[in-house]
Amino acid sequence: MRALIVAVQALAYALAIAQPVLAQTGSAQKIVSLDYCADQYVLQFVEPARILALSPDSKKPFSYLRDQAQDIPQIRPLTEDVLLAQPDLVVRSYGGGPNALGFFERSGLRVLQVGYANDLASIKRVTLEMADGLGVPEAGRALVADIDHRLAAIAATRDTRTASESVLYMTTGGATSGPETLVHDMLVAAGLRNFQTQAGWRSLPLEQLAYKQPDRVALAQFNQATPNTESWSAVRHPLAQQQLWTRPTTVLEGAWTSCGAWFLLDAIEALATGQAATGVSADPSAGPSGSK
Amino acid sequence: MDRALNPLLLGLTLVVLFLACLLGSTALPMERVLAALSGNGSVGDTLVVWQIRLPRALCGFAVGAALGASGAVLQGLLRNPLAEPGVLGVSACASLGAVIALYYGFAASWAYAMPLAAIVGALLATGLIAAATLYTQSVVTLILIGVGLSSFAGAAMSFMLNFAPSPFTLADMVNWMLGSVANRSFADLWLVAPFMMVGYLLVFRMRRGLSALTLGEEAAVGIGLNLTRLRLAVVLGAGLLAGAAVALAGAIGFVGIVAPHFVRPLVHHDPARTVLPAALLGGLLVLVADIVVRVLPSVTELKLGVVAALLGAPVFVWIAMRRRGSDG
Repeated sequence: MRALIVAVQALAYALAIAQPVLAQTGSAQKIVSLDYCADQYVLQFVEPARILALSPDSKKPFSYLRDQAQDIPQIRPLTEDVLLAQPDLVVRSYGGGPNALGFFERSGLRVLQVGYANDLASIKRVTLEMADGLGVPEAGRALVADIDHRLAAIAATRDTRTASESVLYMTTGGATSGPETLVHDMLVAAGLRNFQTQAGWRSLPLEQLAYKQPDRVALAQFNQATPNTESWSAVRHPLAQQQLWTRPTTVLEGAWTSCGAWFLLDAIEALATGQAATGVSADPSAGPSGSK
Repeated sequence: MDRALNPLLLGLTLVVLFLACLLGSTALPMERVLAALSGNGSVGDTLVVWQIRLPRALCGFAVGAALGASGAVLQGLLRNPLAEPGVLGVSACASLGAVIALYYGFAASWAYAMPLAAIVGALLATGLIAAATLYTQSVVTLILIGVGLSSFAGAAMSFMLNFAPSPFTLADMVNWMLGSVANRSFADLWLVAPFMMVGYLLVFRMRRGLSALTLGEEAAVGIGLNLTRLRLAVVLGAGLLAGAAVALAGAIGFVGIVAPHFVRPLVHHDPARTVLPAALLGGLLVLVADIVVRVLPSVTELKLGVVAALLGAPVFVWIAMRRRGSDG
């Protein structure tokens, strides 16, 4: 027991004296990422040799850059595991829990916090911040330029006919999203009109759907490997299923919208072109849906 | 009063069912609702009334009625007014069965897998409680067994949902533990209806035996009651009803204790005559609670089980307090 206490004290001391030096080195060499949103920035901007470990969700279907994460070790977002891995930079948005940022900073670890993006402008701002924090500002500027280029291309090819086309965004959990949300921005950027006019996230307006239908449905599928919709989801209701059977449906791959980040552009492009991603229906037992 | 009780409850139920069809996120005047109900409404009105409001209201009523009947027969069998599917852990075990069927893909390959799994969970818990009564008549012991079963089922559900393939399941877990009839359709109701029917058939056939049991087991056997058959049928019937209710709406507590408690004095404490009015009152209570949930001005709908517990838990405590000193 005494030996364990001495070992922990020695580790804490080593970390305490090492961190200030590492914090000044600019480009971190041993990076750990604690959640799948943070994983995406690390995988995008950092070469694999500098990545010590990624979050346990880095290879899951909703992780956008999951293919690049295949050979990289994973770490549980537990403070003890992270400290023992001795990284010189921790990247996180929510991984490790609400007290993690303060704890890591008190332990002398450098933490790069992923900013919150609730519109396309803040996605670009967060992209630049993350690239700076990871020591590759040029790569950040290049990615933002690519975002602008793709948005301009969508705007240039936008069919004037589709500007009045209404789209109902639908998650498999039975929620939809109105103005003042990132999803609303995404629909507008694709040249579409949001069917949901009430602000914020809400349950699907089933009664409204009985009187008025959208021209198109955008079905956000969080995890294509998991066929079941939540058991109380409004998507299971016959009125919602009817929209999926009778309206053109764009299935948005879960990974595109899992974080407010640059890969939301994939969803915007799919919506703008009316192209449907391959995917399973929200509730396979309830009837056909998906790509049409 | 006892003769008028069932027609009165049935009449009230019809009135509240109509009220449930009137209220919703879209304002519909009474004449449009009546036109939709009679098949003469516009397409939109007919969809709202027949596909959204009426199925939800009927699901609420079916769940409450099943829980009320299940509670009434369990109380008769265990001769204990605190017995109820929620308190005894039957609802929680049924939820666990449903969660197993849903999250491990059985329900995706066969629609009946989910209600069957819920019923198996309910039957296991009901069987365990019934077996425990062979060794103890202590109310406290039975309730503690129920608390243990509920805690175990809750922990097992939490364990499975944590390790489920999709991590985005918190809302589902809350619904299984608190209960809701939001977004339920006729398809959901038809799925569990056969199990409820068999459950009702069993408990109604056995209800006279429950009256005989009030004389005591020896006296009941003396007048020709087959105790084993009664126990088996009641456990099976109560398990089918509670399991089907949970498969439809998740675990909604306290309905099975409140409904029989209020009707019992009106039928002279006869267990046989308690079953039907307890079912009707249980259905009515859940129907009213669901209307409350729907009309509350909140962006996110309050869970039905929350309202049921807010109303039912104080009644449970009141009944328990009144029994103090009468049980060890």
